[in-house]
Amino acid sequence: MLYPDTVLTDTAVHKPKTIGIMLVAAIVFFTLIGLKGTIFGEFMRPVIGDPSDSGFLGDAATGLVVGLIFVINIVLIGFIKFKYQVLVVWLELLVLFLSFFYGFQLQYEFIQSKIWFLITQGVFTTLYISAISIILASILAIIGAIAKLSSNGFAFAIASFYTSFFRGLPLLMQVYLIYLGLPQLGYVIDAVPAGVLALTLCYGAYMTEIFRAGIQSINKGQWEAARSMGFGFGLTMRRIILPQAMPLMIPPTGNQFIAMLKDSSLVSVIGVWELMFLARTLGNKDFRHMEMLITAAIIYWCLSMCLELIQSRIERHYRTQSH
Amino acid sequence: MRIKNFVSMLAISTAITLVGTSAFAGDALDRIMGSGVLKVATDANWAPQSFINDNNEMDGFDVAVATEIAKRLGVEVEFVTPSWDIITAGNWSGRWDMSVGSMTPTKTRAEVLSFPAVYYYTPAAIAVHKDSPYKKLSDLNGEVIGASTASTYELYLQKDLTIDSEGVPSFSYKVTPGEIRSYKDSTAALDDLRLGDGVRINAIIGSLPSILSAIESNYPVRVLGDPVFFEPLAVALDRGDSALDAKVATIVKAMRDDGTLKTLSTKWYGIDYTSAIE
Repeated sequence: MLYPDTVLTDTAVHKPKTIGIMLVAAIVFFTLIGLKGTIFGEFMRPVIGDPSDSGFLGDAATGLVVGLIFVINIVLIGFIKFKYQVLVVWLELLVLFLSFFYGFQLQYEFIQSKIWFLITQGVFTTLYISAISIILASILAIIGAIAKLSSNGFAFAIASFYTSFFRGLPLLMQVYLIYLGLPQLGYVIDAVPAGVLALTLCYGAYMTEIFRAGIQSINKGQWEAARSMGFGFGLTMRRIILPQAMPLMIPPTGNQFIAMLKDSSLVSVIGVWELMFLARTLGNKDFRHMEMLITAAIIYWCLSMCLELIQSRIERHYRTQSH
Repeated sequence: MRIKNFVSMLAISTAITLVGTSAFAGDALDRIMGSGVLKVATDANWAPQSFINDNNEMDGFDVAVATEIAKRLGVEVEFVTPSWDIITAGNWSGRWDMSVGSMTPTKTRAEVLSFPAVYYYTPAAIAVHKDSPYKKLSDLNGEVIGASTASTYELYLQKDLTIDSEGVPSFSYKVTPGEIRSYKDSTAALDDLRLGDGVRINAIIGSLPSILSAIESNYPVRVLGDPVFFEPLAVALDRGDSALDAKVATIVKAMRDDGTLKTLSTKWYGIDYTSAIE
């Protein structure tokens, strides 16, 4: 259900018909993707013999067992409370992921010897580049949004040209254009400032649209009422419009922050030693890229999760304030 | 009055900036000696030529040669790691002074860069998966072959390779690929080849030292046939400062004559690649 209510219904996954359909679908699905060559096939060895010689029967038997486990799991989870459902499913997915990585046969000593450098050099660089870009992009976006809503044609034209151009080009191309193009005009710009500039301009353009939409979502009457009471532009914005627009702008802005964190990896092409660059480079000599890529992937994920937490905190803050 | 002042200041400062940047191109040597630092651009994904070692510092044959050149110039060395296509694009604008990155002096590159000194020669070879049936190079006609993008190897597959340097043995195009797959670097191509013969590609072309070091790291590949061509690899500089060109040429010649290059080559490759091959 979209919202919890008091209408009594049976849990969907406990209806016999639903269970039947799920069971058939799961068994057919797992049979068709053919699991006998995986770790599941190994578990089935006592029944089907050597997995590689068992043919379609091996796939079918493995599919049957995996499908059964899958459906029993869903039915059982249906009995517990929402909070525990989430916990159990998260844990299960995590275990699946880890076993997936385990299958790569990674060398953990290598990861151990490099992880400290990945964090002190890579994460540090990624974080400070993203942080500076996020702050600058937010400032740019507020100016851009106000300009786009302005009745001044000059301001509107500049702002709309800006958003159109920088939203219309791939970020990677902007990084190249700024890094290689500006020196042609006589401004030799270092790799880090070039990366920050590209990220700022690109994300500033996206966030301009978010801020504009947020401001526009507030009823015109609010503006008129404030103006009729003699409020100026700044005061109306600060005290009337933005406090109401903020809760609408937070979720998409949080999205942009998370996306920025990951897109900062694009500056690796101009030789900045950030997380992605090191992930690609450190394992190169020993041909151990999978180790570094997976480690960096997990680090990126952890960083994004931190941002998600912060976002939900801020969202909660504004929700309690406005209701 | 104030506005006029502002405008003239703007004009002057622009003029200074313009003069400053154009003076840059001619006085690379002065800049290096003045700052006491030789900035060298090198690709960090190119073991054993240049890579990040266990102490998280740049290391490898190219890095050792660059360090030696800086030492003989009497300055410190500093490495920057832009991607390969940015280095080969030229117009470095004084961001870095030199590339010691195993670059082949091709005609198109010579339009934007200057190549004062060749410091070694490497054989380019074709590798296939260990379990593949190919016996000679012509067996690969019509197959999918991978190469790193914007490299001489890719040009070789495209039959468009011109090396304009003295002392290079002539070569012929021995294979006609059905499809050329471009990769960011040779390791990416090797990673696709290791998946199996024909899973993504049937063969790769790359430098023999890189292929041998992959085999040493247990990549299931083997070298097919003889090297297809030998390429001279040169120190690259931005165009415009003949004084620096001459200086680097002298230094590299001295390093060859006193056996320094040979020692470094033997240390990193186990083979002396520094003299032109028969």
